[in-house]
Amino acid sequence: MSADGAAAGLRWPCAAACLAALAGCATFSDTIQSTERSLAQQQPKAALAAYEKLKPNPADRVLYLMNTGMLERMSGDYDASTQTLEQTKRQIEDLRALSLREQALSVTVNDATKSFVGEDYERVMVNNFLALNYLERGQLDAARVEALQVDILLREKQQRTAKNNPYAEDAFSRYLTGIIYEDEGEWSDAMIAYRKAYEAYNRQLKSFGVGMPETLKHDLIRLADRMGIADEAKRYREEFKIDQTLSEADLLERGEIIFIVNAGLAPVKRERSVTAPNPATGRIIRVAVPEYRPRAHAFAYALLSADAASAKTSRVENVEAIAMKTLDSEIAGITARAIARAVAKDTLAAAAASSGSNNSSGAALLGLAVNLAGVFTERADTRSWFTLPGDIHLARMPLPPGEYKLKIDLHGADERVLGSREVKISLRKGEKKYLSQHWIPTNLEVRP
Amino acid sequence: MSGYRWLRAGLVLVALAAVSACATKVERLDESKAVDLSGGWNDTDSRLVSQEMIQDSLSRPWLQEFRGRSGQSRPAVIVGEVRNLSHEHINTNTFTLDLERALINSGKVDFVATKDERKGIRDERKDQDLNARQDTRNAMGKELGADFMLTGTINTIVDPNGNEQLLFYQVNMTLISLSDNRKVWVGQKDIRKLVTRSKMRF
Repeated sequence: MSADGAAAGLRWPCAAACLAALAGCATFSDTIQSTERSLAQQQPKAALAAYEKLKPNPADRVLYLMNTGMLERMSGDYDASTQTLEQTKRQIEDLRALSLREQALSVTVNDATKSFVGEDYERVMVNNFLALNYLERGQLDAARVEALQVDILLREKQQRTAKNNPYAEDAFSRYLTGIIYEDEGEWSDAMIAYRKAYEAYNRQLKSFGVGMPETLKHDLIRLADRMGIADEAKRYREEFKIDQTLSEADLLERGEIIFIVNAGLAPVKRERSVTAPNPATGRIIRVAVPEYRPRAHAFAYALLSADAASAKTSRVENVEAIAMKTLDSEIAGITARAIARAVAKDTLAAAAASSGSNNSSGAALLGLAVNLAGVFTERADTRSWFTLPGDIHLARMPLPPGEYKLKIDLHGADERVLGSREVKISLRKGEKKYLSQHWIPTNLEVRP
Repeated sequence: MSGYRWLRAGLVLVALAAVSACATKVERLDESKAVDLSGGWNDTDSRLVSQEMIQDSLSRPWLQEFRGRSGQSRPAVIVGEVRNLSHEHINTNTFTLDLERALINSGKVDFVATKDERKGIRDERKDQDLNARQDTRNAMGKELGADFMLTGTINTIVDPNGNEQLLFYQVNMTLISLSDNRKVWVGQKDIRKLVTRSKMRF
């Protein structure tokens, strides 16, 4: 057997062994199991502890901060969460500039070598959850800062993206912003934000399946009345078939509870790959791209009751659909990059195999090594903010000033009660209290 | 052998260089030197605002008018809320404290403790009532009521476009007479910045 033959003989078993080893190579989404398991066991503090043990590589810093901030929030540590998420914003800002080094790596190694800065919706969510943190801590002016920042972010985004992009606006952001302005008593800003939310919900209904929240209908009519825009108020009344709603003056005589449920978890990205030997050259070619796996959950709505009054939440944001649509719009580019990378890696391996004409077996081995290195490093970028809720639900409940025992019942799609709790709450005249809850199913799909 | 020695010396040098590069470096700056890092609100902005406000507030006629009207020599002022209506989380204490200090040190104005400070002082007075010697006790109900309240707002307008951002800050401070709600002084400082972000990084 010649030396050349020996190298050729080595090639196949070696390749087979490496293919088996590939399954053991971890992508980002494989490293978060214990965090997910603790979340499914309803132990956010343990989930946070497990997550903090991970040592993120520098390119994943933003992602690490996003998840940490959300887990801190789930654990009830709002101040820590606020700090972490503020830091996230600064990091994202620092990473805005293009890095040639990372671009080169993403073309030659894989996409996960690029610094994670989050998709548009993830960046908007940083502001949304910061605003919620501030609101729940009673810092209305600080929440207003987030409202202004999200407006700048969305304005920049609209300059960049095409008009027909379904996620040109973030409906929930606009709605929350409106609630903040209304709480501040800035009626015209609130009206504008509610109007933008109205347009966004109308436009996004088809893409994200989130209809106009019931409360927003009343908010629009109330604010239009308050601003004295009679024809607009009349139009809303006819469109929503609502005759009677609380006037702004009456609302200010009462307190209000604004309750938010963050239900389920956002979909996770998994790797979808094709690894095949090329019979013509004997080299292995591998292409890996990310895909989202939705994580279904049973939550349908929450019912709030206090004394004789009650209120039901409506869905205000479908994070899952936004995430999946975002990836849909990018997958063509990601796939093209993956294929270009496979070609580049294969060309490199071919060049290595044919290098050094006097020692052909050494060159063949080198070619094999380069080929395998290329295959090994071909991993999909499966990084995403996996602790975001799958969807967000909101209820507004005006109550006369006083002390209340607020009962919160979470219902599933089949009217099953998923959980309930009682909160003692006191409301002053004109005061708005913000409450939120994360609900994660116990049967959360965790990858083994 | 001498080649080996050179190599070793070289390695030691490289190691030394590497260690010195790792050490934390602190550079003391003159506080009047403007250093802009992110383009956001920073100490320079705060200082510009307090300079403008101090000069303006001391040179305006509200002081003389107060003296002439009330017969009192110095008005008492209390710091109310400076609301941050901007798009950044800004600490407004820095320039309100600057302004407070400048006004007190000018000897023309008295400042009254703020709501939170007053609470602590009243607690202390209560404690004195029980525990302090008779001749050193400070009695309740002898506080100085304020004649004016200092309030303010910070507003911003942001115009982002690609890598550029035009920032406009406007800080307003108002002295309001507590007896009749008259605004006796309004100070304003505008700051404009054009922030150009780097398109490239390592």
